[in-house]
Amino acid sequence: MKEFEPVPARPAPDKTVGPLAWMKENLFSSLLNSLVTLAVMALLVYYIPPVLDWAFFSANWQGTSEDACVREGACWVFVNAWSYQFFYGTYPVEEIWRINLMLVLLALVILASFTLPKHIRLKASVIAWLVLPLVGIALLDGRLLGLPVVSTDLWGGFTLNVFMAAASIIVAFPFSFLWALGRRSNMPFIRSVSVIFIEFFRGVPVLSLFFMGSVMLPLFFAEGTNVDKLIRVWIVLIFFMSGYMAEVFRGGFAAVPSGQYEAADSIGLSYWQKIMLIILPQVIKVSLPNILATFVMLFKNTTFLLIIGIPEVVQTLQTALSNSYWLGGHALEGYLFVFLVFWSSCFSMSLLARRIERQMNTDKRD
Amino acid sequence: MRKKDILAITTLAATLTAGAASVQAATLDDVKSRGTLTCGVSTGLAGFSEKDENGKWSGLDVDVCRSVAAAVLGDADAVQYKPLTAKERFTALVSGEVDMLSRNTTWTHTRDTSLGINFAGTNFYDGASFMVMKDLGVSSALELDGANACIQAGTSTELAIADFFRQHGMSYKAVTFDTSDQTRQGFESGRCDFLTSDGSQLAALRVGLSNPANAVILPEVISKEPLGPVVRQGDDQWFNIVKWSLNAMIEAEEQGVTSANVDDKLANGNPANKRLLGGEGELGANLGLESNWAYNIVKQVGNYAESFDRNVGMDSPLKLERGLNASWKNGGIMYSQAMR
Amino acid sequence: MFKQKTIEQTKSAARKSGGNGSAAFYNNPNIRALFYQILLVLGLGYFFYSVISNVLANMEATGIKTGFSFLTASAGYDVLMSLIPFEATDTYGRIFIVGFLNTLLVSGIGIFFATLLGFVFGVAYFSHNWLVRKAATVYVETFRNIPLLLQVFFWYFAVLSTLPGARQSLSLGEAIFLNVRGLYLPKMVGSDLFWVAEVALGVAIAGIFVLRRWAKKRQELTGQPFPVLYASIAMVIGLPLLALIVTGMPFTVEYPALKGFNYFGGITVIPELMALAIALSVYTGSFIAEAVRAGVQSIPHGQTEAARSLGLKEKKIMSLIIVPQAMRVIVPLLNSEYQSLVKNSTLAAAIGYPDLFNVFVGTALNQTGQAIETIFMTIVVYFVVNMVISFLMNRFNNAVALVSR
Repeated sequence: MKEFEPVPARPAPDKTVGPLAWMKENLFSSLLNSLVTLAVMALLVYYIPPVLDWAFFSANWQGTSEDACVREGACWVFVNAWSYQFFYGTYPVEEIWRINLMLVLLALVILASFTLPKHIRLKASVIAWLVLPLVGIALLDGRLLGLPVVSTDLWGGFTLNVFMAAASIIVAFPFSFLWALGRRSNMPFIRSVSVIFIEFFRGVPVLSLFFMGSVMLPLFFAEGTNVDKLIRVWIVLIFFMSGYMAEVFRGGFAAVPSGQYEAADSIGLSYWQKIMLIILPQVIKVSLPNILATFVMLFKNTTFLLIIGIPEVVQTLQTALSNSYWLGGHALEGYLFVFLVFWSSCFSMSLLARRIERQMNTDKRD
Repeated sequence: MRKKDILAITTLAATLTAGAASVQAATLDDVKSRGTLTCGVSTGLAGFSEKDENGKWSGLDVDVCRSVAAAVLGDADAVQYKPLTAKERFTALVSGEVDMLSRNTTWTHTRDTSLGINFAGTNFYDGASFMVMKDLGVSSALELDGANACIQAGTSTELAIADFFRQHGMSYKAVTFDTSDQTRQGFESGRCDFLTSDGSQLAALRVGLSNPANAVILPEVISKEPLGPVVRQGDDQWFNIVKWSLNAMIEAEEQGVTSANVDDKLANGNPANKRLLGGEGELGANLGLESNWAYNIVKQVGNYAESFDRNVGMDSPLKLERGLNASWKNGGIMYSQAMR
Repeated sequence: MFKQKTIEQTKSAARKSGGNGSAAFYNNPNIRALFYQILLVLGLGYFFYSVISNVLANMEATGIKTGFSFLTASAGYDVLMSLIPFEATDTYGRIFIVGFLNTLLVSGIGIFFATLLGFVFGVAYFSHNWLVRKAATVYVETFRNIPLLLQVFFWYFAVLSTLPGARQSLSLGEAIFLNVRGLYLPKMVGSDLFWVAEVALGVAIAGIFVLRRWAKKRQELTGQPFPVLYASIAMVIGLPLLALIVTGMPFTVEYPALKGFNYFGGITVIPELMALAIALSVYTGSFIAEAVRAGVQSIPHGQTEAARSLGLKEKKIMSLIIVPQAMRVIVPLLNSEYQSLVKNSTLAAAIGYPDLFNVFVGTALNQTGQAIETIFMTIVVYFVVNMVISFLMNRFNNAVALVSR
């Protein structure tokens, strides 16, 4: 008989928790993985110190003119001196509360659309959204409220990007809804007009639409009428957006189960009652992430307005760069600033869209 | 509710159509009733029309707008500046969006005859030339066969350079940029061997280089670029006002009237001074303006020499020589039509 | 009791309204539809009539030239890059074609690399490697959220303009040169019998389709898979090479060389094209990666588990089970991404790449002042290109949809 020989005890298992174990699993799990990790780390060590040095340690922070930029690093004085125009354009300083108030209103309406009690949320927020652009124009322009008039050539900067994008998408909202309905309609002529409209505005570059707004549209108006350039571009953007949003809504309509239509028909609702009371709320809800994505796209595209000379933020930057007292070439600092502003706002909106999407998915599971 | 909305929208639309300025009617009346002059300027061109960090416009072209406003409204600051791109400037003028254009626009035959516009004079005589880096070892434009050119898009320089190279049997590659600052960056990075633009802009671009001493401007001037204010066709009175506002600045320099001594000249000057400044004669009334129209221009904007020095000349970062733009009395060709 | 009553009421109401409805013609849905449509026709007719008459009146009043006669006029300016021979004395009509080809070129390159980047990073989302996963997230969230205009500027002014000057070019074996003015590649210049190789290439491409069909049939019949990809690559390279060897190498290679200021000869890829193509690929790629992620996530996890239980390898699961099904979700999204890429290529204007928009709505409009004609022609081209993309992608979509069922 063989003598009993116990199997030798296995060594204690590697730690599976804690930072070391995590690193081993995720960063050094294989040879290739380790090499990639090391290469990335080497790059970071090589590049980060000079960048930090340029951006912070040897940067110029204080002063009001080009002459203040004597040190090697970035000239943040440039961004600082022009920051008012980057945000507000040439809007008069004493009237600036109007822009700030508008931003607050915008934030309030956004907040309200997510926090109001459920039974009035949809109705209240839709009305608030539709009234908002009217309030905005009245407030920023000032004419209707008896405030000092600030003509549109003084509007500009980053707030112009925000307002142009917001105002176009909101005004486009009802139109796009009608186009989407038209596309689903049984009436052949209405359907084909809707399809042509939607496909046209989705199929042509937004830059060419801006050019239409700036050089072609003036010829479309009756002789003697003369519509402000910003308004013309706004009109074009509304058309553009209603084409895009119509497609978003088409997706939304398709997502509403046909039982909903049949149920609405069977309780004897009229066409518009059915659409407004039963279908629309569901469509808006399922389309929300896509609406937000469309808004982000539009918001980014407002930088294209530079090509037609609208003083949005990039155009303002280029105007600043061509000022003869700032000819030192601070393009890098300026673009970095614009990049940070855009990236942070677009990124937070993407996060919001994703959150809504996740929330909706949980709703469905309930 | 719905009717109310429609009403509100119509009112808004009506108010926002910017006073519905009529193209055919007298521009002078429109400007007077509006109380401001709308003037089309460049979106940013060093020395000619630039905005500072406080949003204030200045420059040689801007001063033409200011002088017209001073002549018509008695206030040089009563100007609404409309920054326009090169592409939309003529449409904006013709459609009545702006009352006049003062946007470094080259006076060419084609533009004058086919675009429905009129040039009201020349406020800067310019010409396209070349800038190269010193280490390229080039001293004449004729040595540039096969080189790359940095050009700003949509300028008449684009045509001038094509003509020049064809005429001398040379070839080149044009790299076109959207703005002058990008043109400078392209040149500095070595994308092209030379940068071509109007002489005045070359000076500004050179100042913007990280080391201006490395670049030289070649002696050749390859084109004539007379820059001046533009008005639309069909309103001769307005055409005259813009033309003579510019002339008043030039004439004031010829007569030695400056913003500092204008009051003295009006009271104690010679008959020509008095005629210009409205102390005598009917010059203002003939234009449909107040008699002190030119006084306001000189007092508030200054004469041409003051404007030049302040914006592009020795008192500015650009430090341009007067050259062709000196008064004819000093050997230039800046010449006012007879003010009488 | 109460319920009973309501139903009775509803019934009578229905009867009543039905009676009225048949009497009043305006309640007939067909007549209503006709009425609405006539209203729309009249409205649109009035709209177009007033726009056109306004345009004509405005043009007449301001003396702007009209018509397409400028297309045959000499342009008088040069274009930086052209796929067909072009001189400054050529016409605006030719400039239109030059611009159109340049637009197709940059869009084609952009679509190819955007798809590649999109699929690589989209699949990388599901990698087991933490670094790779994070890299995918960082890539998507960075480039998706920056305006494309800034990205174009970035690649052009911050990256490509730091390359060395023409006289200090980086070179690879004195054949390929890279400097701030572009990438210079050697070019094959064929002589008399070169057409044989070109025909061989055509045959090889046609052969791929035949091969694919045959391999599919064979797999269905015998269950034996055939390495179609490797065979296709071998065919595309091998056949023309064979043809060249048989005909005795009927070509010469033209190397780029520094003459005076620039490199001449060979193929030049200008930095404007590189910057725009990189920016478009990277930007659109981030959206495609999102689409791929959404597509893969839409496949129920059961599919993966079922595939594993059949003993398929992880790689095969992705390529044979998951991606083909995900394509149903991905393709419609790809369609719209491709279309926006073509539209976004108009940003060429910002860095001076001579695409259609830049040379035509940019310079030609500026020189001729004929806004309506130039913008109209350009819009029509982009519209048609997008329709073609849409048509092709819909065909492709039908194909993947059929396969999956």
